[in-house]
Amino acid sequence: MDLMHHSSAFLLPSIPSDRHLPRPPLTYALVVLNQSLPRFTPLLWLHARLHLCADGGANRLFDEMPLFFPNENASDVRRRYKPEAIKGDMDSIRKDVLDFYKSIGTKIIDKSHDQDTTDLHKCVTYIRDSSQDLDQSNLCILVAGALGGRFDHEVGNLNVLCCFSSLRIVLLSNDSLIYLLPRTHRHEIHIETSVEGPHCGLIPLGMPSRSTTTTGLQWNLDNTEMNFGGLVSTSNIVKGEKVTVQSDSDLLWTISIKKFERRIRVGVRYRYI
Amino acid sequence: MDLMHHHSTFLLPTIPEDQRPSLTYALVVLNHNLPRFSPLLWKHAQLRLCADGGANRVYDEMPLLFPQEDASDVRRRFKPDIIKGDMDSIRKEVLDFYTCLGTNIVDKAHDQDTTDLHKCVTCIRDFAPASDKSNLCILVAGALGGRFDHEMGNVNVMCRFSSLRIILLSDDNLIHLLPKTHRHEIHIQPSVQGPHCGLIPIGMPSKSSTTTGLRWDLNNTETKFGGLVSTSNIVEGEKVTVQSDSDLLWTISLKKLA
Repeated sequence: MDLMHHSSAFLLPSIPSDRHLPRPPLTYALVVLNQSLPRFTPLLWLHARLHLCADGGANRLFDEMPLFFPNENASDVRRRYKPEAIKGDMDSIRKDVLDFYKSIGTKIIDKSHDQDTTDLHKCVTYIRDSSQDLDQSNLCILVAGALGGRFDHEVGNLNVLCCFSSLRIVLLSNDSLIYLLPRTHRHEIHIETSVEGPHCGLIPLGMPSRSTTTTGLQWNLDNTEMNFGGLVSTSNIVKGEKVTVQSDSDLLWTISIKKFERRIRVGVRYRYI
Repeated sequence: MDLMHHHSTFLLPTIPEDQRPSLTYALVVLNHNLPRFSPLLWKHAQLRLCADGGANRVYDEMPLLFPQEDASDVRRRFKPDIIKGDMDSIRKEVLDFYTCLGTNIVDKAHDQDTTDLHKCVTCIRDFAPASDKSNLCILVAGALGGRFDHEMGNVNVMCRFSSLRIILLSDDNLIHLLPKTHRHEIHIQPSVQGPHCGLIPIGMPSKSSTTTGLRWDLNNTETKFGGLVSTSNIVEGEKVTVQSDSDLLWTISLKKLA
């Protein structure tokens, strides 16, 4: 069974070119959903090659990105953080926001006729289809604003992870990071202790798991059964910088994100507390 | 297969007299932002517990819901009967305050195998006389938001205690289990909830679910993670029925309180 490496290096100001990373380095795409922008969104934007808004995510970008740069002109910030595309059923995006991004050249993909898939689902297919030239095993889709708000939306976002289990998709909020560990691989998760942890969990979403084995956690699993209604590993703790997971079932990995504080000096320096 | 009725009348200022069956409510407050309607839940509940740091929330945030009143008076008025948990989050001054007032403090610091919510649910279950358990309904405030693993832990408590009525609540959502052992009638209070809803096969694929009362009803439909999961659905009218071969989570949006 092949090994799959995972790292949250995209939460660092600059991604180290060595250690802990699969080779070649990952190409990031960013999808912004319609929830409060996580405080580290400018950082994600910096690392991503492709930037999309899912429908009302464009409102968030328009309204909230300038708030991260209070010393700058809002209009300048909005132009700088211009998504390549806005896709979705367009029932949430405000007209003034739509007009603004249209006028600066953002591609608008109106899928209002399609009520069978969520806006995130539509954005993931767009990214996957636009990246045909890339080796998709090196593509990583970061999703900002994936949690909070309506629970059915949250669940819809989790289901996108499960529906596209061969793609790397990371759901992000201010407090948590979540991605799928497909059962087809053994997993090595490299913990960036400056930005994440120690609280973590392994979630058998949608299917019981007969056997999961881990290393690197305070309460490791050892050929342990997990299922909703029985044991689900939550409020676990990472010990050290590497966690390994092997399971007969797809599991969600979740880890807490440390509070992010941005300090503005000459140039911009980031600090996690 | 027996029918199970579900009502959200606890979200109304007064519970109509003709609502059957009459339920006994218990409230558990978790360590996340108090929903704006927490005073209403408190009023309907006969037993009020804080799970560890939930006591911090009652202490800090209940007075904010009554800005015209003296904070100290509000805190005395909203005094939990019990604070239970591993006590790693409750602040010392909060613990002292409630101890002083007579709240029962149940320290379970040695027990790291179950979540604080789990501990509170067992406390309530063991407290309630056997005859009342089918009429018992545990309301959980502050169940969502914050850390995702906490959220999943709370969802799992509903699954583990599938024979108890447990309702997870936040400002935006109401969630409860629909056990596969029953057919379900969900009575919608359109003044306070909806229209957005979902049915979630959280732990196990469902081969067959059938509903009425939704915009996109299921009809002997298979639902599972990795396939179809009913989210962003819409309630039409005031009654939804659900029957499934699998335990499902029902979730419905809550309207912003004026």
